[in-house]
Amino acid sequence: MLADQTDRTHQIGSKIKCMCKGCDQAAGKCYHVGGAYSGPCDTAKNMLKEIDTHISAGLNDQQVLDAMIKEYGPLAYVEPPKSGFGLVAWLMPILYLLGGLILVVVVMKRWRKRPVAAIAVPGAGHSQVSPELLARAREQAQRETEE
Amino acid sequence: MDVFGSFALILAFVCAAYAFAGGIAAIVTRHPLLIKSARQAGIAVCALIFTATLSLVYLFFSDNYSVAYVVSHSNRDLSTFFKVAALWSGQEGSLLFWSFLLAIYVISVLLTYRNKNGELMPYVGVILAGVQLFFLTISNFVASPFKALGVANLAGGFDLVARADGNGLNPVLQYPEMVIHPPNLYSGYTGFTIPFAFALAALLARYPGEKWIHLTRKWTMIAWCFQTMGILLGAHWAYAVLGWGGYWGWDPVENASLLPWLTGTAFLHSVMMQEKRGMMKVWNVWLVFVTFMLCILGTLLTRSGVVSSVHAFAQSSIGSWFIGFLCMVMGVCLAAYFKNKDYLKSENQLDSMVSRESSFLFNNLVLLVACIAVLSGTLFPVFSEWFTGSRISVGGPFFNKVNIPLGLLLLLLTGVGPLLAWRKTSTESMRRNFQGPVVAGALGGAAAFLFGAREVFALICFSLCVFVAATIVQEFYRGARVVKIRSGAPWVASCVDLTLRNTRRYGGYIVHLGMVMIFIGLAGQAFNKEVEKEVPIGSTVSIGKYELLLQSMDRKQEKNYVADRMIVEVMKDHQPVMMLYPERRNFPTNQESGTMVAIYSTLREDLYVVYAGMNPDNLPTLHVFINPLVKWVWWGGMVVVMGTIVALVPNRAAVVVLAPAEALVSAGEVSAMRPAQVTLREGHD
Repeated sequence: MLADQTDRTHQIGSKIKCMCKGCDQAAGKCYHVGGAYSGPCDTAKNMLKEIDTHISAGLNDQQVLDAMIKEYGPLAYVEPPKSGFGLVAWLMPILYLLGGLILVVVVMKRWRKRPVAAIAVPGAGHSQVSPELLARAREQAQRETEE
Repeated sequence: MDVFGSFALILAFVCAAYAFAGGIAAIVTRHPLLIKSARQAGIAVCALIFTATLSLVYLFFSDNYSVAYVVSHSNRDLSTFFKVAALWSGQEGSLLFWSFLLAIYVISVLLTYRNKNGELMPYVGVILAGVQLFFLTISNFVASPFKALGVANLAGGFDLVARADGNGLNPVLQYPEMVIHPPNLYSGYTGFTIPFAFALAALLARYPGEKWIHLTRKWTMIAWCFQTMGILLGAHWAYAVLGWGGYWGWDPVENASLLPWLTGTAFLHSVMMQEKRGMMKVWNVWLVFVTFMLCILGTLLTRSGVVSSVHAFAQSSIGSWFIGFLCMVMGVCLAAYFKNKDYLKSENQLDSMVSRESSFLFNNLVLLVACIAVLSGTLFPVFSEWFTGSRISVGGPFFNKVNIPLGLLLLLLTGVGPLLAWRKTSTESMRRNFQGPVVAGALGGAAAFLFGAREVFALICFSLCVFVAATIVQEFYRGARVVKIRSGAPWVASCVDLTLRNTRRYGGYIVHLGMVMIFIGLAGQAFNKEVEKEVPIGSTVSIGKYELLLQSMDRKQEKNYVADRMIVEVMKDHQPVMMLYPERRNFPTNQESGTMVAIYSTLREDLYVVYAGMNPDNLPTLHVFINPLVKWVWWGGMVVVMGTIVALVPNRAAVVVLAPAEALVSAGEVSAMRPAQVTLREGHD
């Protein structure tokens, strides 16, 4: 029964997917919509029992995981392995970020070279600002800040 | 009534076909009567879809068990309230409901702008009619909700039959939130059609000026608001009903709802680049296109079963229709883009790497990377099957690892962006703007550490939350101070006044504040605890400071289900706090059962109690969680929605920036304020 199982079982169980195919959860965290039991479903409970058996056979955490993956196949991974094709999943986000960064930097460089089309505001002191210039600055401030 | 409904549906299809074809003809010939008739046809489509939807609702209310859809999703004992929800609980009904919500948007657009934007509206009408035509094709010819219930007879045909009672509604849907969550989420999904139509129409028509971008932005905000509410309500429903102690499981369907939200958020930010600086026009148009396509892709993922999901209650082979539609949309967008590419030529240059412009670029980068990472993670099992022949599954831990750093980066930008000026930020203004918030953030992190938080990401998150909150408070304070000096009104009134004068900017800050609260709640997950134990009546379970005593159990007979209830007394530090009643409900109609979680919720933490069922020895089992800070997520969500509504309110009369000072202020103060007021504008949205 579940409550008798150790934290270690649950910890390992949370790294293996429940194979009931109805949920997308780890065996240690399985819940079942409309199931007979709100906690783990029978599939998950059996998987946790298997983990118990492996533990009592003296395997360490990684060995238990390997044994479970060997039995259930790559669908039992909660997260893709960091080897083989699974590595692709981990590299993808990093590649997106790097690619995006390069793109942003390239875009910024190109934008900096664009010809100037903006209104020039002289850096003179505020007391010398002429009314026309002030009006223009206001108008620009308005446009750039309000709706 | 079923014949009436299906007749309305087929007429809607015909009218949509006319609105589409006639609309194209109207654009080509520019004949005013043709333009008008296409628009009227568009309105008729909406009216007919309303009629069809109402007749389906009527079929549910009148317990008409000769209609297949009603039989599979309702029964006589189902309460009236949930009979409404039964409308969208299955494939056919949810597609009709989709059309229904889209029709609400379409009719609002057609009526609001009937005498405005004359050059643009015929295009908008055609695009909207095209989208409606697709959904009506499905509802009429692929998945009709009005199909009569039939059994095969010996002659090889079908006999129509009527049943005495239906199969009932899926019990997990029989919760009040399930009546609000889908309409909200669907309103988000369908709502993104409107900005899509405006953007594509403007591109096709080469519509001059920036008017369309304002329209697009406004409608995107409305759709975004619904999408946000829909996602959060779904999360809350999962939390309160499913009984697994969490609210976000990175299920493919959840991911699908997040994708357009991410690109929509990106658009709401980058659109400012176009409005203020005339930049990123191509990017913005594509963001709107992609957001719409992601909505369709979301439906495809939900409906087709390409990837396995807990939302399996509405699946079929309808996917190929959606793939076809998606390809068509992509084709049209590409064609329009390449034909009128020069229309989107950007002006202006980037003055500095440290500016509002560049912060928007990074904001878009992070949002888009998150979007693509979630999308490719969701589809990864499919990819791995193509390349290696076996499915490698990608679950929650993967998405968390990828998205937590991205989320924190985004949170940082939420604080940094609004403090940077457009064009160029001087070192002096950087120092002035960042000093306070950075100190506050560091103190916040230190405080969290002292309170015992040791998780690195959680600590970073708490510091950033305090930092961002401080920047927002600082912005309100600075703005309100100016108003206060001029009007002499108290602080609160000055803040309100300030907000109403620039609703978009300050509404945006309120949205940011809501997001900060959500992040606080998300960070709380790092400290979750749980325990599961069999408890004979009269014994206790302990978790954290709490002790739970199972006093007794009872059974309640309700109209549509039987509820087995635990009566649990909660004690905190040996003092009784309250009673909780976690339930299990058994629905005899479809022989299913569900849970009703009991939650004792405070701002600090939730005590989350699930009656997990009876073990084989007939001992009741309690599953108890302590989930810190969860409430912040829901409250944050409400603040986000509030902020969005504020941002949608039109600005009160514009303020003259350098208004003469009132007598309340001394001359010295005025001259000291002047330059500050001019430069203050640096920080505006």
